[in-house]
Amino acid sequence: MRRNRLLALALGLVLTLTCLSACGTEQEAGQRHRVALVAKSTQTEFWLSVFAGAQAAAAEYNMELTTMGPETEEDYETQNRMIAEVVESGAEALVFSAIDFTRNAAAVDAAGQAGVKVVSIDSGVDSDQVGTYIGTDNYAAGRMAAQAALEGVEGELVVGLVNYDESTANGQERERGVRDALAESGRARVAASVTTLVEAERARADTADLLRNNPEINVVIAFNEPTSVGAAQAVAGLRLADAVFLVGFDSNVATIDGLQEGYVDALIVQNPYAMGYLGVESAYRLLSGQGGALETTVDTSTQIVNRGNLFSLDSQKALFAFE
Amino acid sequence: MRDKSAPRGPRTTAILVAMVVGVVAIILCSCIALFLHRYRVAMVQSARTSTAQAVAQVSNTVGSYLEDIHQAMELVVASMWEEDDQDMLLRAFLTFRPDAVAVTSYSESGLLLDCWSPGREPREDILVNLSFDLVTAQATGGPYLTAPHVESIFEGYYPWVVTVTAPLEPGGEAAWVSLDLSFAGISGYINNVGIGQRGYCFLMDQSGAIVYHPQQRLLYAGLKSEDTASLATLADGTYDDDTVIYSLSTVEGSGWRVVGVSYVDELVNQNVREMIRLSGVMALVILAAALFTSWLLSHLLGRPLRGLASAMERFESDADHFTYQPVGGTREVRELSDSFGHMVVRIQQLMSTVRQEEVNLRKTELKALQAQINPHFLYNTLDSIAWMCERGRNTDAVNMVHALARLFRISISRGNELIPIAKELEHAESYLQIQKYRYKNQFTYTFEVDPACLEYYCNKITLQPIIENAINHGLDLMVDEGQITVQVCQEGEDILFRVRDNGVGMSREQVDAILHHSPGDRTGIGIKNVDDRLKIYFGKEYGLRITSELDVGTCVEIRMPKIGEGDYETK
Repeated sequence: MRRNRLLALALGLVLTLTCLSACGTEQEAGQRHRVALVAKSTQTEFWLSVFAGAQAAAAEYNMELTTMGPETEEDYETQNRMIAEVVESGAEALVFSAIDFTRNAAAVDAAGQAGVKVVSIDSGVDSDQVGTYIGTDNYAAGRMAAQAALEGVEGELVVGLVNYDESTANGQERERGVRDALAESGRARVAASVTTLVEAERARADTADLLRNNPEINVVIAFNEPTSVGAAQAVAGLRLADAVFLVGFDSNVATIDGLQEGYVDALIVQNPYAMGYLGVESAYRLLSGQGGALETTVDTSTQIVNRGNLFSLDSQKALFAFE
Repeated sequence: MRDKSAPRGPRTTAILVAMVVGVVAIILCSCIALFLHRYRVAMVQSARTSTAQAVAQVSNTVGSYLEDIHQAMELVVASMWEEDDQDMLLRAFLTFRPDAVAVTSYSESGLLLDCWSPGREPREDILVNLSFDLVTAQATGGPYLTAPHVESIFEGYYPWVVTVTAPLEPGGEAAWVSLDLSFAGISGYINNVGIGQRGYCFLMDQSGAIVYHPQQRLLYAGLKSEDTASLATLADGTYDDDTVIYSLSTVEGSGWRVVGVSYVDELVNQNVREMIRLSGVMALVILAAALFTSWLLSHLLGRPLRGLASAMERFESDADHFTYQPVGGTREVRELSDSFGHMVVRIQQLMSTVRQEEVNLRKTELKALQAQINPHFLYNTLDSIAWMCERGRNTDAVNMVHALARLFRISISRGNELIPIAKELEHAESYLQIQKYRYKNQFTYTFEVDPACLEYYCNKITLQPIIENAINHGLDLMVDEGQITVQVCQEGEDILFRVRDNGVGMSREQVDAILHHSPGDRTGIGIKNVDDRLKIYFGKEYGLRITSELDVGTCVEIRMPKIGEGDYETK
């Protein structure tokens, strides 16, 4: 009888050990999600900051991130090709900033239909495949820009606008915000507007032409980072720092220098790091089945930086990347 | 017999299994609960300890880093005194300290006097100089460290730095010197501190302003926040709530504090969950083992017992033909089984002994009966002979005497029980002869015998009691002449005797009475004795069968097996 008991005990022990060893080998490393970020550019500080945020989120959520963008911020065709390649290469999620609101739509639709989760950042696209939009409330940002000008200039405002690609959603939204706010003020008119390329040199040249052709202009508003840098260079080059109140977008060493020198008067600073981070984080949520909890639009913070608050702690945090 | 419908108690198997499994389950549950509780406590304690250890290490490292900064600052201050070699010394210093961004000196009134920075010149018209604050410098008196800020004196170069500012001995032109240091020296170390998978350390000052955080950019982008305001109010030590463990340690000789953050969920709960899962699996396995063991045990005990019980039942129902198969199992069961086996053998022996004794007794009885002569029959026969002699019927008297002599000779047959059928028929005929004389030819008799039967043997005095019965009960009361027929024939392996009369017949009750009751007052062998004798000798299937019809007659059929001369010996 005692032997039987021992036998059963030994049997139980063996079973337990088998189970334990089975439990041990059971944990397997989950496949990393693959996510691609297709930006408008890979050069500007704005986009580098977006990429840094995206990398941080990819590291935190253990995802494989690839970032890419076309040479110029007008090349929606390259973006479409990149989206197709990304889908082809088997990425599960796409974080995308559209150069062209309508002409990027087909590629995004195709990606969505291929089962790729799409998160739109910075600039929207006309597709119902987009899971969520993360970026600045561009209309409000435009109004902020106009507000900065209205506060900075007394009397009548004669405004020159330096915008970029007319089919890009965010630039147009901002311009609409600016125009609405200026119209509401009753003491401002838009004297001229120029559509330039998203490239500092072309923006400088076009802004210089604008200023030369419309000498009455006392406010210039530029709508993104490269156009702001170009506009700042034009104002500095024409020595119109005192005569022209320049409102730019985003943070760039050149425009920050300009703020201190005086030829840039206000910057509307977005939060590109957050866009990148939240974009990839949302992609992760969509992939891991938490998509239901996502809001359709996430507004990242925006703030006005001018000479007075340039070196306040908040502005420092917003303007200067902590390496 | 046992009453089968009576409720039986639960089986040994059920009791044993329930008891073992129940006890094991209770013990397991309490052990696991206790173990898991202690385990969680220990895990929390170890998580606290590891967090505190990590923080202590970081604190030491930061302490030595600060010491290093102060030493560097002393070098800078010393260099400031070397009027001639100042530039060279500071340049050399900046070359060897790649994390030093700039050294700046200020006058008594806070004016920027000079700036040394590798490859950079300060802008002419500085909007805000975050590296020096006269008010703080005057208020502090000694060297002090600032919170992180952006280097704001250069054009197109805005790194995040901390500044050490120290007063200089009065006498020189410069009253203060500031050293701007990038985070390169400390970030590499703090970024690599991991507590668990997601835990980390960060640096803050006494007021709760973050000095360095591995996720500073997330904090600055507003994507993450640390509740430094409430952390600043806590003294050094380790604190835990349900989700997070905080450990604080002040860096010696400075206003900086190291905060370690680790997650209870990942350090403790995951382990505890894993342990619960393991315990569960283990408990299941142990329960299964207990179930199996108890089943095995009860099987070892219960099944042989049941086998024994059914064997007893079979023995009860048919003791004669029961052959016992020993039941295997444990020693106790085997002993029980063996005892039962011995008992069965003993009882069967006893039973056969009793049966044998009964047979012997009956035989003795019969022999005694056979030995008796019905005295009335003898008196009457002798009277008849005397009467015949008186009347001068000598021939008849001689026949009578012969018949009587034959009757007695065959009755005795030298004590043999079995005699040839021929002899038995002779005996019957002698009897009939005598009776016919006595009854004055009131009946006739015939024999119809298959000659092949004559060589076989049969029990002696088998026919006589039947014929006697036929005469006494069948023919005695008749007015007409009676007729008795004695038939002997073969039927398969049996011999059949039939004694038929045409007398008054018998009712069914009378037939039963004759077959089942011994003749009371009468002597001699009754019909019942004949039947009993045949059954004892040859088996239940042999014996008498009586068919009778009132006023028509009676037929008594006697069946016995064919017995040759050889077989006789064996009987």
